[in-house]
Amino acid sequence: MSGEIVDAMLGLGLAVIVVRRRSVAIALLGAQSLVLGIGALSIAGGGSGSSLVASFVLLSKAIVLPLLIYALIRRTREPGLVLAAASPLVRLAAAGAVMLCAVVFVPPLGLGSAHIEHAAVALVLLGIAIVVARRPILFQLLGLIVAENGLSLLAASVPGGLSYVIELGALFDLGLVVTVAAAFAHRIHSELGTGDTELLRGLRD
Amino acid sequence: MTDLVPILAAAVPALPLAGMLLALLARTPRQADILALAVGLPSAASALALAIAALARGGAPALRGHWYLLDGASGVLLAVIAVVGLGSVAVSPAYLRASGRSWTTAARSRSLYYAALFLFWAALLAVPIVGNLAVAWLIIEATTAASALLVAFSGRRDALEAGWKYLVLTTLGLSVALLGIIVLAISQANAGHHDLHALDWHALRLAAHALPKDSTLVAFVLLLAGLATKIGWAPVHNWLPDAHSEAPAPVSALLSAALLPSVLLIAWRVKAILAPSVGDATTHAVFIAFGLASILVAVPFLWRSLPWKRLLAYSSLEHMGVIGLGIGFGTPLAIAGVVLHVAGHALAKSLGFYAALPLLRIDPEAANRAPDGVLSDSRSTATAMGISLLALSGLPPSPLFLSELLILLGGVAAGDVLVSVIALIALALGFLGLLHAFVEGVVGERKRHHRRAHSRAERPILALTAILGGGLLALAPAGLLLPGSAFVATLARGAL
Repeated sequence: MSGEIVDAMLGLGLAVIVVRRRSVAIALLGAQSLVLGIGALSIAGGGSGSSLVASFVLLSKAIVLPLLIYALIRRTREPGLVLAAASPLVRLAAAGAVMLCAVVFVPPLGLGSAHIEHAAVALVLLGIAIVVARRPILFQLLGLIVAENGLSLLAASVPGGLSYVIELGALFDLGLVVTVAAAFAHRIHSELGTGDTELLRGLRD
Repeated sequence: MTDLVPILAAAVPALPLAGMLLALLARTPRQADILALAVGLPSAASALALAIAALARGGAPALRGHWYLLDGASGVLLAVIAVVGLGSVAVSPAYLRASGRSWTTAARSRSLYYAALFLFWAALLAVPIVGNLAVAWLIIEATTAASALLVAFSGRRDALEAGWKYLVLTTLGLSVALLGIIVLAISQANAGHHDLHALDWHALRLAAHALPKDSTLVAFVLLLAGLATKIGWAPVHNWLPDAHSEAPAPVSALLSAALLPSVLLIAWRVKAILAPSVGDATTHAVFIAFGLASILVAVPFLWRSLPWKRLLAYSSLEHMGVIGLGIGFGTPLAIAGVVLHVAGHALAKSLGFYAALPLLRIDPEAANRAPDGVLSDSRSTATAMGISLLALSGLPPSPLFLSELLILLGGVAAGDVLVSVIALIALALGFLGLLHAFVEGVVGERKRHHRRAHSRAERPILALTAILGGGLLALAPAGLLLPGSAFVATLARGAL
């Protein structure tokens, strides 16, 4: 996969942690998934059947998931701005630091391309950072998918590709998790009138 | 019996999946209850038959098919999941009758509850028999979606919080575990093994010596860290007390007694296959660190005055720590203790969660506060709670007394004397904490007004106490046969 595609994925992922509007974040995530799908397709050209299946799985994910999440935000309008715990600049700096950790601490994983290895781990860490740093429930859901895109980047780069059973199974699982998460988001919004997870802090010992 | 194994292995997850589809077709709540029991009985029977087939092989090597792997550990887990699953299906009508609300309409809620419960059960039954690491991961991930819906079934704010936290944290944890699996797949691909079977337990075991040490170590750490989130090991256990306490009691029983040890089995298999590459000392240290941390984090909470289900949740954290410690020690004595502990914990813990149903009927405040003086209102409920608590505390003749003793002696045999002593002290403190909960909550003085229990409503918990209590009593002498057996020796060797 070319360095430009990998860099674009990182940039789009970083933008998700910064932007305020949910619709913009969904568009960024869709773009990231699309870039990943195109990158995987470029590797699969003339490659194994598994790689081709993986590319089509990623491309369909890039179309279906953003549409599903967009339908969700149409049904859960926020009454006001959900205040962020930290400013966009602080979030960007924290995300940058987390991604830097991936470059510094991740040893070679055997792929032969340190850039892809670092970027994949950085995206998983970035997904975790988005879940931690963003309060709106929808952004936490997007964080899960950014982390999943990091995994897909690494999986698509495995020599010969991962088995299509794993690719399809992972897509099915992700679809299941996103559907259940969307149901949660809708229900939480109905119960609280907002998707601010800061209000979900009643359980303590 | 061996000829029937492929058919049984397919039937075991297929029957509850059929139950899921049938539940969606039910038109009335009564129809849903009857269908659930009608499918639950053959589901449990087929799983128990497969468990017997696995256990009857004693110390013989694992049976492998195209997609399944059946060894002694599969047998123990299958038996546990079958018994707890059937128990949860059987007590569900009592929960659903008493539950005030759910997040869907009343007409649909029972069908959806059973559909999610059967999907969860089917996935749990598949985990111990699946012969491939990646497929095991896919199934564990599928349990998350089904069980998160069940955790939040009541639709109350706290239940939504617990369900959301569980969904997000365990999905992130499993993403980390998947990263580890992909790293292993890269190593296998570099060695020329590209297809799905490259990640079969057996194939990985055969390839372990040839795997590159550094990247395999990364894979091992990622896999264990990710699976630890789902097992509920400290320090990544935050979801566990919330999910166990907010879920419907039958679901809490499945989460604690079946889900956590099933994922632990996968972690154990990862240890068995990767130890030749990353070294016994490393795998040993990681399991002991997670195990000891979980026990030490759980014990202070066992001393606190907590609501019943929350107390049981922290007890789960403690017991998963004990099992992790036993697997980490890895000696035959410790493994004998692990086998006994998984079975004993499942029976005692499920009885405790089932007892929450009549408890919350006579004292609804027990959902948010520690129970008090239950004996003065309901002897049956108090008996169930007492047996559960005392068994979990490790009071003889509880099988957990013997299993903890075996694990600690196994630790000494492994040369981990200091770890064993620390664990012994922590377990003794945990024992006192649960004893205190028994004295205050079960046999102590009643401090607030309770409803009187009706004798008819007490019959189900009486029957469950007799069955699960009898099982606990039978386990202790059976456990004495484990040390030195060929069955345990094969498990301790990590043969897959």
